[in-house]
Amino acid sequence: MDNRTGYVIGDLVANVVLGAIVGLLCWAILGQWWNMWIAMFLMMAIGSFLGLVAFFVTARWLGAMEAMVPMMLTGELTGMVVGMAVPMMPFTALQGLIWGAACGAASMVLIWIANALLRGVTRDGREVIHG
Amino acid sequence: MADAATQAKWDKLAPRFDTMASAGAERRWAPAKSALFAEMEGKVLFLALGTGLDIPFFPPGLNITALDISPKMIELAQERIAAYDGKIETHVMDVHDMEFDADSFDMVVTSCTFCSVPRPIEGLKALHRVLRPGGRLLMFEHTGSRWYPFRYMMNLMTLITRRIGPDMNRPTVANVRAAGYRITEVRNVFLDVVKTIKAVKVPT
Repeated sequence: MDNRTGYVIGDLVANVVLGAIVGLLCWAILGQWWNMWIAMFLMMAIGSFLGLVAFFVTARWLGAMEAMVPMMLTGELTGMVVGMAVPMMPFTALQGLIWGAACGAASMVLIWIANALLRGVTRDGREVIHG
Repeated sequence: MADAATQAKWDKLAPRFDTMASAGAERRWAPAKSALFAEMEGKVLFLALGTGLDIPFFPPGLNITALDISPKMIELAQERIAAYDGKIETHVMDVHDMEFDADSFDMVVTSCTFCSVPRPIEGLKALHRVLRPGGRLLMFEHTGSRWYPFRYMMNLMTLITRRIGPDMNRPTVANVRAAGYRITEVRNVFLDVVKTIKAVKVPT
């Protein structure tokens, strides 16, 4: 986690807002007649794409990779969770907003944990070539 | 002879480069860059200068030779070069075709460069040639990731960014090793996708 307060708050707010938007979009696009798996994969793709768009909008303030990676994760995670939930149960717009915002906060916390584990001097600098 | 396609790509990007890169990324990366560049000493080759966004992080009083493939970038860097408390000599040059003598620099420094060099291992080998035995390579680079889902994100982003500028998924640490350097330190700055790499040209 970046220890500068502005970035901690900025990262968290950006991801919570993005999550809420993706959650709301899931509510707007999907319904209980949708196949859960199709809905999930569709909204994961749309969420990732919106994460990219949000990165281009916020990069000027939040940086490059430090903005892009959490936002793509937020889009993907929110798409997965809310995208699965909407076909499974009656779902309101407010629920979409709240669940999405929670996913945004959760993905930012995951990034902070991953960053705490990975950052610093590595043992050997091994990398996998092109996934 | 500079790679015409690469030169044209960066010339085209030059007027928008500061808007794209400086405000967010440079502020965020400032502590890590300052710490790395504080180690600059001796006769330094800096690659690639771009519009000079890294110059404010250079320690004062150095004699730096700076390259960029794009004449437009170097043109836009002039104000920052003039403000530097030391000497920066610029060359429009392709890393693959450098005209310097072998073993002529004490240190080679790069900053977000090897995401864009078209043939990275060959480029690193070219730098290896001009670095004196025992000389150090310092790099601030963004790379691909070993870990899902970050690896997938970097691969996805590269499909988009490659058209306008850098690749996001380069295995730069492995490339440094493949070019014949001995790596002395890899420090992750953000996850394992932004990092500093320190290496040395092993005397033969």
